[in-house]
Amino acid sequence: MTDGLIIPAIKVALDGLQQRQRVIADNVANINTPGFQARTLDFENALSSAVSTDPRASIDTLSSTITSGFTGDPSRQDGNNVSLEKETLNGTETNLRFSMALRAIDGRFATMRDVLKGS
Amino acid sequence: MFDIFGISGTGVSLSQTWMDAVSDNIANINTVKRTSESAFQARYVEAAPVDSTGANPSGVAVTGVALGSANGLVVSDPNNPLADANGMVRRPDIDLGDQMTQLMMAQRGYQANLAVVQRATDAYTAALQLGKA
Repeated sequence: MTDGLIIPAIKVALDGLQQRQRVIADNVANINTPGFQARTLDFENALSSAVSTDPRASIDTLSSTITSGFTGDPSRQDGNNVSLEKETLNGTETNLRFSMALRAIDGRFATMRDVLKGS
Repeated sequence: MFDIFGISGTGVSLSQTWMDAVSDNIANINTVKRTSESAFQARYVEAAPVDSTGANPSGVAVTGVALGSANGLVVSDPNNPLADANGMVRRPDIDLGDQMTQLMMAQRGYQANLAVVQRATDAYTAALQLGKA
């Protein structure tokens, strides 16, 4: 990965993780809605292929192309298939990944600050 | 940016409405009416996802309220001042077990949504620390 790609790539990751949190929040909000089907969101595959193949062209527009799909888990009797355990685990993991991405981008900023200070 | 709070807010407010309806139903479980009147009707909250396509997840919304049976249960209670000539009164057809189950589901929904709010707060707080050396 070239140097100028790190921040755009992390930005896509932050966008995707936040979008995933929204999907999780929507699933939890509808945990008792009859017939509701839980959704999930994957952006990691798109991001990794964008970074490895034709970086500059596709990475900037990547955030807007991320869409959610159904989990396809078995439904309860009321036609709803939201699993609170799964959503909680996913949410916690997404938060940790979000912190990790933040730390990575913060590291880049720290490097820039050091360069500007000349220390 | 902060719309997770909005999404979870719809879930919390639905749970609140639901709990209000259930507590009203339970409060009126012994409301007796004359046989010439209709019985107290239990309220059942109806909900649906705001965005069913999933393109823009926006939580849940109350779509209406369904009412229970207006006929209720006609039971014999000759000593009741409201009893008709045959000694019958009309009681609401509300199942306490069903109402308590609903109350628990609403309560758990409330808690689950607040847990999401807490997680989102942690993430946003971390994001606000960006760039602070």
